[in-house]
Amino acid sequence: MAFEYLPIMAQNSAPKPPRVLVKPSKFAWCAVTKPLFQSRVALLTSAALRVESQPPFVPREDLSYRRVPSDPAIGPIVIDHHSGIGAVPKQDPEIVFPRTALAGLLSRGLIGSVSPQHFSFMGGVRQHAKVEKELAPALGHELLDAQVDLALLVPY
Amino acid sequence: MIEALGIPTLVIGTAYDIMSKVVPPRAAFVDHPVGRTFGPPHDRERNIAVLAKALTEVAQFTQPGMIRDLGCDWSSDGSRSWEQELRAEMLREH
Repeated sequence: MAFEYLPIMAQNSAPKPPRVLVKPSKFAWCAVTKPLFQSRVALLTSAALRVESQPPFVPREDLSYRRVPSDPAIGPIVIDHHSGIGAVPKQDPEIVFPRTALAGLLSRGLIGSVSPQHFSFMGGVRQHAKVEKELAPALGHELLDAQVDLALLVPY
Repeated sequence: MIEALGIPTLVIGTAYDIMSKVVPPRAAFVDHPVGRTFGPPHDRERNIAVLAKALTEVAQFTQPGMIRDLGCDWSSDGSRSWEQELRAEMLREH
């Protein structure tokens, strides 16, 4: 049986009510039509991470995002997210943002290409309507501009 | 929203209970502690193995809202002792 996170989150929220989980107001589904070995792949992360030279995220309700270069050689990653589970991933952000692994799978021919940029934002914000109406469309258009065929979202 | 623009998505997550509530279009479950989705720090081969499993699973999603278990165990012996440590970590760090 999978580990249950919701009871711990509720315990951590007390005496305030537990965090509300929100589904999108409109469910959408797009079939995968392109073979993986021809597909351009991008990472999306809610870890509020960035390269060192980029401006920091401001916990807890920052609705901005960062374009993170997909080339692992371009500087180390900093995680700004305030989550209490950050001690381990801050030692090695690749375990929540597998930028190097994705590049490795490109060299093995599993995927067709890697988006020049991945995208990072702050998870756990409570302004759900703004996330849906502003942040998500902005990220979607970034992915379209980058001609991404498959977006991998890694929740933090 | 991203799917509505014509781009398929895959959520790769460790929290089955949360993914089952928010219902992403496609979700791959990794049975690792939260914050270690692709393995322990500095284990690049494990990062690649988990990511490759997730990517090759994409073609198996035949309908919206499915959660598919990638079959990734955190401990090589199948032990779940990490759950107690994680619970303490999450409560302590709060």
